[in-house]
Order: sequence, then C-alpha cells, then structure tokens
Amino acid sequence: MAKGISRQAALKNYHANRDKTVTPEELDVPELLKKFHPDYDETSMVSLQVGPNKGDKCHKQLADLLQSDAMIDEADLAGAPVYETDVLVIGGGGAGCAAALVAAEKGARGILATKLRLGDSNTVMAEGGIQASIEKNDTPQMHFDDTIKAGHHCADKKLVEKLVMEAPDVIRWLIQHGMQFDENQFGDLVTRRAGGTSADRVVYYRDYTGLEMMRTLREGVLNRNVDVWEYNPVVELLTNESGHCAGAIVMSLNKKSYTIIKAQAVIMATGGIGRLHLNGFPTSNHIGATADGLILAYRLGAKLRDIDSFQYHPTGMAYPRHMAGSLITEGIRSAGARLLNGLGERFIDELKPRDCVTSAILKECAEGRGIDDGDGVKGVWLDTPTLERENPGFLEKRFPKVLLTGKMCKINPKEEPLLIYPTLHYQNGGAVIDEKGISTVPGLYCVGEVSGGMHGRNRIMGNALLEIICFGRIAGSEAAELIHGRGHKKVTIEHLSRLRRELTHAGLPMVSKSPALFPDYAKQGGGS
Amino acid sequence: MKEKEINVNINGKDIALPTPMSAIQAVWHAGYPMVHGVGCLEGVCGACKVLVRRAGGTEITTELGCQTMTEDGMQIIFLVFPTPNHHSYELSDLKNSWETQGHFHHVFPEAAHCRHCSGCTKSCPKDIDVEKGVDLAVEGKFREAGELFLECVMCGLCLTSCPERITPNHVGIFCRRVSAYFHIRPSNLINRLEEIRKGRFKIEY
Repeated sequence: MAKGISRQAALKNYHANRDKTVTPEELDVPELLKKFHPDYDETSMVSLQVGPNKGDKCHKQLADLLQSDAMIDEADLAGAPVYETDVLVIGGGGAGCAAALVAAEKGARGILATKLRLGDSNTVMAEGGIQASIEKNDTPQMHFDDTIKAGHHCADKKLVEKLVMEAPDVIRWLIQHGMQFDENQFGDLVTRRAGGTSADRVVYYRDYTGLEMMRTLREGVLNRNVDVWEYNPVVELLTNESGHCAGAIVMSLNKKSYTIIKAQAVIMATGGIGRLHLNGFPTSNHIGATADGLILAYRLGAKLRDIDSFQYHPTGMAYPRHMAGSLITEGIRSAGARLLNGLGERFIDELKPRDCVTSAILKECAEGRGIDDGDGVKGVWLDTPTLERENPGFLEKRFPKVLLTGKMCKINPKEEPLLIYPTLHYQNGGAVIDEKGISTVPGLYCVGEVSGGMHGRNRIMGNALLEIICFGRIAGSEAAELIHGRGHKKVTIEHLSRLRRELTHAGLPMVSKSPALFPDYAKQGGGS
Repeated sequence: MKEKEINVNINGKDIALPTPMSAIQAVWHAGYPMVHGVGCLEGVCGACKVLVRRAGGTEITTELGCQTMTEDGMQIIFLVFPTPNHHSYELSDLKNSWETQGHFHHVFPEAAHCRHCSGCTKSCPKDIDVEKGVDLAVEGKFREAGELFLECVMCGLCLTSCPERITPNHVGIFCRRVSAYFHIRPSNLINRLEEIRKGRFKIEY
C-alpha cells in the first residue's frame, strides 16, 4: 500500500487549505465499491458447506464459527436445573428489552437472559438517532425509497414497508416509556438528515440517543414482571420433537454451569458481529458482539441472508491508537462537518451512503493521499473545527460525546480535526424473518441486528434503532399471543447430532467450538 | 525511540506497559482475561467502574476503566459488584402530572432524607452534580433534575455511596422519564400519526 502523508505535514496542509471550498468530483459508485469496499474482497469469502445456506458466499471468519462444533453435548446437561417460562428473550439490548416489555405488557411470563448486564449492547452506544418520517415534506414512501435504494435494491420490501409505516408510532411508544428527544422552541421534534436520504428524518437526543433509549428501556424492564438473568449467555437452543424451538441452554459466567430454560417462544436479540474484527478492521461494537445468536439460529436450521455484507462506518477514531474503532457519529457530517484528505482537500460528498464514503476513504489511503503516521495510525481528517468556527458553541450543544471523546484523546475537536478511519460497525444481513419477526424455524423469533432483510446490503443511519424497537415490539407481541396452556413436553438438543453428522460428512475439522461469546483478547488476555 | 515504560498496579498485579492505554486494555495487554466489568469500551455503559490512586497522591477517585488512561505509578482496582435497585414503579400508574410529586415520594421515600454528604457527587465518574439532582427531585423540579442526569450511564456508583440508601441514578432516570411521559407532545409527530391512522399513506413497491 502506498505510504501516506505524515500527521504533522497533513495538519499543515489542513490549516493552509481549510478555507477553500472545492466540490469533490463525482465518483463512479459501483466501480468505487468494487475496488475498495472490504465486502468485495473475494479472498476473504468462502462458500458454506453445511446448513440451510449451503453453497452461499460467506465471510471466512463467520463461516468458521457457523461450521464449528457446539460447546455442549447430552452429558453436560445431566443434572442441569430446568426452568420453564412462556417467552424467553435472549439479549439485553434495545431489541430484547422492547420485546420483553411488550410480551410482559401482554401478560406473558418472561425471562430475559443476557451475556453481561442488562443494557450491555450496541444500542447504548448509538449516537446518531432514529428514523421516522414526521416532517411535512417527508412521507413513509420516501423513507421506503431511501432505504431500498441505499440497500442496493436487495432489501425485503415487506419488511421495509412495516418498518417505515411503524416508525412514527415507535417514536410515540418510546416517549410514552419515558425517552426524551430534542425539541425545538415549539415542542416539535427536531430532525436531521442521514447520509444517502432525501429528507430530514432522523430524530435524536443530543449524540446520546442510544444511551437515552437504553436507560429508559432498562428501567422499564426492571420495573416490569420480567425475570432478568444477567451474566448468562445462551450457548445452545432447544427443540421439541417436531423441530419447534422450545427454549435454550444458558451458561452462568459466574458458576460456569448450565441451566435449561424451556419456553414456548424464543426471541433472539443478540445483535451483531463487530468483535470478530472481520478483515482485521477495528470495531465500534460492544465487547459482546460475537455473532452468537446468528450461529445458534443457523444450527437449528434458520436460513440466513446477506451474510457476506457488512457495514464499515466511515468515521471511527484512528488516533490515538488506544481509541481505534471508537465511533464518531454520522450526525456530525449531517451537521456539515467535512472529510479532508492529507492534502487538505475534500474527496467525497460526505452525505453519500456509508458504503460509498467508507470506500472513498479507503481509496484516499490506498492511493497515498491519506494520512499515515506508521504503526497502523492512518486515515483522513474529520473537519470539526470549521463547524465550530462557523457556529460557536454548536459542538457543546449538539455533540457533547464528540467533545468527551476529544478529551480522552487530549485533542480539542474545536481546534484540531480528528483523524478517522472506517470501523466495522454493523452486520447488514442476518436471519431471514417475516413481518412478524419469525425466522424460518417455528417458535424462533429473530429481531434487531441478528435478523436480516431490512437493510439490504447497506444500512442508512437511524434505521437500526428503528428496527430494534419496531420488530422487538412486534415479536414480543406475537410471541405472547402464541402462548397456550401447556408448554413443550420434551425438549432436546437432537439438532446437534445432525450438525455433527453434516460437519463430518463435509470433512470439516470439529476442533473449534462456538458460539465465541467473547473475543480472544478478552477471554485470554493479549493485545486488543 | 523507545518510550519510557509505564508501571501500574491493577487488581494487585504489577503491570508494565510500553505505551499509554486504558485500564481495561492494560489488563488485557498483561495477559489477564477480563470479561466481567467490560462493556462498550466507550464510556457509556457503566460496566467498568474502578478505584484509582495516582502516583504520590492520597486521594482515591472513582472512574470508568475504559476512560481511565494509565499513568506511571497508578493503582487501579476494578469494582465488579451488582447495584441492585429496591424501588419499583410503572409510568402507566401515573394518571396525571399533578400526582407526580406525591408519587415520587411514595416510590423514593429515602430521597427526602439526604444528609448532603456529597458522597454521590464525588463518586460520579461523569461529574454530575448528583446531590443537587436529588434535591431538585425532592422539590418536585423533575425537568431540571432530569437535565442534570443527561450524561448518566447508570454505573451505580452513587447508589453504593449513599448512606441513606437513596438510589440517585434511579431518581434521575425517574425524573427524565416523567418529563418525557407527560411533557413531550410534538405536533409534527402527532400530525403524522393521525395521517397514518386515517390511511393516508400506502407504500408502493
């Protein structure tokens, strides 16, 4: 890779050129993506050899987990305590909490099992906001069209229709559960524009939208009749004799022992995959984002889609190194912050869809116009100082978290631009679901990032927070309706015999076990 | 040029670091596994509470491990303990905002017993004026109290430092929630909901 421009030289260029207003030249988008987006790197893809997606393209690191052995077998379950409930929710982020809340409101008994603490999730870190077409010059149809287009026309239209039509009611529901949003002087919700969209549609609370959402929902769940099992990651799903999902096995991180939870419906809300660090990228994700739910659902026979498509968010911190991967919200580009290369020049319309902007940054770096300080510190500038100069006090008011991040790095974003580089952010695909949130396995709902189809092959800002609440609510409600008098009589892990047979047939080594639960550097120690 | 090593002590273990890094990264760097007490790594989930003493100082501060940059001679202890809440309420039990104050004191009876020891404020890793927030809530100024808790990540340090068993963080979230529940009524959102209810929008594929 071509060496770039040193940080010091690039800072000089920045100060010399920052007042120039140059419109960047139009880039050929398909060509740009093909050459520079990590999804198009054929060497990182393999074909799946077992399971419902046999033959499909999949990222190698994910394929290794999808095709590894289970952690448990029958012997581990001897003497394991058995609990019974109506609805088992797996995952304690926004989607899981929404599902658990709604199921409880509908009168179902519920257990929410989560790997760490309730609220430990990517939701809490979401900054930008949540999409809902509420402005006069906007319509659900425009929201629909933007989502489909940004997803390269691969999204499931029925799911997108549900998403955009439910969006305003999702906001109402959140407010009714006590979530605040930024308002103007008339009490209207203020909106900002997401990259790749045609109207101001993102509602938000400062750059703490996810934090505000999560602490509200967490409080809601804790005050409801939901049994919360913290530090209890799910390590396997259970079925009844007809293949219907019938509960799960959780492993207590404190006691290292297994517990069987029988449930009439299971809602998988385990989130994404960032901590697998695909293609060696840094990530903006929570420590627990290791694709557990995706793998367990796949083993049970759930069909997945778009598992070769991931989102690399354009603006992750790149300097100093200990902050690598931390996210700077897209909201700040939406508010007018520019991206500048090492020469101090703009190179892309900052509000193009995320995959375009990311590819453009990677292009600048690959062609030597990026900033490269050696030792893995490379990227382009995010021009926060100009934003502050044009509108003093603006950063304080709208982006307190960006200033806090600056404080951590000993960089003042009001005076010095931030060095940023794309960071692994989101799993675009996931388990195939229908409009009720149910996967291809009866009794197994998948909601939030673990599900696929809403976003096609690229997600726009604000549609993730929308999706988790929209489909979390739907699944919670549907699952509660499903409850009938008696639970499942017999539960088994029969599907693991099938898995092991298939793996042996395909000649795959059963040396590694999944789900991963945590990245190796957290489990064993070692550099992050 | 080789930078000077940074020597720290974390959870009783001496650790030498080649470059500055966060307390969590330091534990991992030294080869110790750690998943309890780790969360978002961005300072918003409140999982990684630590006690910190800096070289030569006697003061002990409470901070977040992912946001604490290691310095030579620093002593750090991770605090991994549950922070149980002993209050319970449902927003839907509040039928109108005239009853909020009475309801608040019913749910959080200890809040009015604040001794003003400022333990909560000192313990807050986000520099929130927690004690003032509790005072405002007791007076019924819920919106103002809630505003103070803007950056609260629910780490629970304030709760563990309160001799009266007030749960200031939950008080703060209560204040924020009732403000939204009763007072956020945006006309742009309400108009759109009404239009959707009347069937004005159909999606064309």
